[in-house]
Amino acid sequence: MTATGKSLILAVTAAAGLAGATGNAVAAEPLRICAAKNELPFSASDGSGFENKIAKIVADDMGREAEFVYVDDPGIYLVPNYLNKDECDVITGVDADDNRVATTKPYYRSSYVFIYPESGEVTVTDWDSADLAKMTRFAISPYSPVEPKLRDMEKWDDNLNYMYSLIGFKSRRNEYVRYDPETMISEVVSGDADIAILWGPEAARAVDAADKPLVMKVVPDTTTRRDEELRFSYSQAMATRSDDTELRDALDKALTARHDEIQSVLQEEGVPLLDAQPEQSSTDKSTTNGGSS
Amino acid sequence: MGRTRRTSVRQGVFALAAVSVYAIAAPVGAQSSSGDKLNELSQNEENWVMQCKNYDCNHFSESTQITTENVKNLSPSWSFSTGVLNGHEGAPLVIDGMMYINGPFPNNVFALDLDNPNDIVWQHKPKQDPAARSVACCDVVNRGLAYYPGDGDTPALVIETLLDGHLLALNAETGEEYWKLEVMDPAVGQTLTQSPYVVKDKVIVGSSGAELGVRGVVTAFNVKTGAQEWRAYATGPDEDMLIGEDFNINNPQYGQTGLGTKTWEGEAWKIGGGTNWGWYAYDPEEDLIYYGSGNPAPWNETMRPGDNKWTMTIFGRSAETGEAKFGYQKTPHDEWDYAGVNVMMLSEQEIDGEKRKLLTHPDRNGILYSLDRTNGDLVRADKMDDTVNWVKHVDMESGLPVRDPEYGTRMDHRSKDICPSAMGYHNQGVDSYDPNQELFFIGINHLCMDWEPYMLPYRAGQFFVGANVWTYPGPKGNREAGTGSGQIKAYDAKTGGMKWEKMERFAVWGGTTATAGNLVFYGTLDGFIKARDSRTGELLWKFKLPSGVIGHPITYMHDGTQYVGINYGVGGWPGVGLVFDLNDPSAGLGAVGAFKELANHTQMGGGFIAFALNGESPYTKDIQTGEYQAEAASSTDKDRQASN
Repeated sequence: MTATGKSLILAVTAAAGLAGATGNAVAAEPLRICAAKNELPFSASDGSGFENKIAKIVADDMGREAEFVYVDDPGIYLVPNYLNKDECDVITGVDADDNRVATTKPYYRSSYVFIYPESGEVTVTDWDSADLAKMTRFAISPYSPVEPKLRDMEKWDDNLNYMYSLIGFKSRRNEYVRYDPETMISEVVSGDADIAILWGPEAARAVDAADKPLVMKVVPDTTTRRDEELRFSYSQAMATRSDDTELRDALDKALTARHDEIQSVLQEEGVPLLDAQPEQSSTDKSTTNGGSS
Repeated sequence: MGRTRRTSVRQGVFALAAVSVYAIAAPVGAQSSSGDKLNELSQNEENWVMQCKNYDCNHFSESTQITTENVKNLSPSWSFSTGVLNGHEGAPLVIDGMMYINGPFPNNVFALDLDNPNDIVWQHKPKQDPAARSVACCDVVNRGLAYYPGDGDTPALVIETLLDGHLLALNAETGEEYWKLEVMDPAVGQTLTQSPYVVKDKVIVGSSGAELGVRGVVTAFNVKTGAQEWRAYATGPDEDMLIGEDFNINNPQYGQTGLGTKTWEGEAWKIGGGTNWGWYAYDPEEDLIYYGSGNPAPWNETMRPGDNKWTMTIFGRSAETGEAKFGYQKTPHDEWDYAGVNVMMLSEQEIDGEKRKLLTHPDRNGILYSLDRTNGDLVRADKMDDTVNWVKHVDMESGLPVRDPEYGTRMDHRSKDICPSAMGYHNQGVDSYDPNQELFFIGINHLCMDWEPYMLPYRAGQFFVGANVWTYPGPKGNREAGTGSGQIKAYDAKTGGMKWEKMERFAVWGGTTATAGNLVFYGTLDGFIKARDSRTGELLWKFKLPSGVIGHPITYMHDGTQYVGINYGVGGWPGVGLVFDLNDPSAGLGAVGAFKELANHTQMGGGFIAFALNGESPYTKDIQTGEYQAEAASSTDKDRQASN
């Protein structure tokens, strides 16, 4: 499709939207949304993920049908292998400062959380908590900012083998294997793990469904031993390919228009919501970093 | 099933407290008769009592019935299917007219009467935790049985490792379980694939699972009682590693005390790997066992700065106490997964004018090392092919490899044509040494690799660090066709060069066996068993097997006939694509892509086949052998017990 053609369609769609003619499918093509088949609570092929729901709301506002392009690959591959290969046009739930893509303004901000039983036996509110210092078994995933902190605390090595057991020792060297939040929460419930330290939106659903009451305490930002900043709060946005800024702008409009409805979805999910922070979303960039360092 | 005597001993590898370091109540200087007895039995050409054939691990037979002249008349004699389709490494054992065969998971064991292999005298099918399968890294192989001859009080035993981490001893006569030890725990990522090693009154076993945070460990158990006698870790404090004050006293430049911790950052040595799952050799005069420790963990080298001692190390340890006499680290701070566990072959040769007791070791990293096995002196470090490029040469003074940074693997560097690939120019095959010709027959994997690191960001500040690895035949092969990834060579340690070399279609993954008939036998991945003239490399005979080979041949005399036999059943690391039906070429660190072509030559199988001149067998000698006789049980019946 030529640039002119694309603009034409978008112009028509926008016009239709402005005229309040929702559901006018004559000129509006479906909105192709990349999504993982199996990445609850974010996304699932039955649409039950909370990101799936938010995407539908946005598409609806744009007068377009949400066409989910579900993939078997783990979600980490969506940008390089699908979005940037033109298999789809929209991705939800990326960091607002992800410079590989063109991001919208954030539609929510959340954080990592300390997750442990509400029983009151232990309390952890920050990295210096006395109870945390005594802990040895951490239900965590190896790809997050939790790693450098646990290394600094000299708890990483002793926990490594336990961590691998959470995925049945499946990860072979350079194979990415997703750590299932339900598994990690059940480890906390059973007491096999002293604590879980997970991305809040990823854990909220499982925490809510747990057999035992659990608390989620926001993990504060900190610094490493080498004085590097370690952030545990992140703003989440939607994204398009770097040069697809018109679509990105259209998403922005829809996100603003349906802000309240989207917040409801997040609240129902139990996502720990933080106030928005002035954040730099990626600007129009012509270079994309296709996933290689 | 009769009553079995069973000693169950839980051995938690992570129990760092109170490990007994020295042997319990072993009288100094006492030569266990069973140590001599096993040695003695190994000199008898009617036997094949240990995987390596003898303590020298030279895989060399004095038998001369089969010669370069008549080998073309070798024909199948009889065969046996293990009933399992997965890679069949190792080989059966032959003692006293009986053959003992085991296989990959579930590690069933069979005892066959060589007078009539139609008779399964006993079979043992261990019950194992099926979860062990998913923990195993590279196909559910087993490198074979070990044998203990017994000493009057204790019966002869057939000993096996189980994938789920147990060490099992069976009564060789009846197949009943004699003792069973829990050595490794799959719940923490540990498995066992190694062939256990019997020395004197001990059975020695290593570990598997390095990349899963398993800290390498070697343990010696009393073969009669199953009691632990000593245990040595591959990393950590000297007392865990059984490193004493005179460690490397002849070669202090290799490093001496405290390095199992100092060469790691923080406490990373605790999950440092260094598992040994390969082969041992033993010198009864020195009373030293020799083996190599494996690769450091994690695989990503940026996560473990330092030399990572003592992974990738050739060890000489006291068989009695486990104390390390010397340790030579071949690949400090490994970047390529060149696990150092390969075969150790012992020989006595005159090198540079001096008669020396050597150990010779073809390492994954493409170097053929020879050390003086009495003191650890580095005598030879020769490239097994001139295409080895990660190292320019080995400095013979310091023992250190002089690396070429262009062929390193680092997260900030993309490199092409690294030779050897991560699979190594040599892997777990047991090679052979002919003491008459003073030549080693080395099976080589001519495979190289490209390495492209990447960093993949994800939400919430997460990112995954990985590498795309492509593995393919080296420059002397045909990279496009995926062939020419194998070589077989005759190596002369005295000159450091090759007397002859031949290319093979696929990596010569399994081992070689040599005979005094001037023959060298080996199997190929695409399913040939071959015989070459060991003096020239000329191909003299071959047979197409039901499936490819990753094990090694054996040869033995029985009833006046020389048999050559081999396990067939492709699998193991080169076979992961075939065995697990994988299509992603980068899976298995590139193994799937490297061996894609293999599926056009062979499929899975599993069993053993014996050959003899003109296909001679108990059945050609007397066609009535194995026939059904209507009369009452014949006098050739042996006690039969099927045990579970």
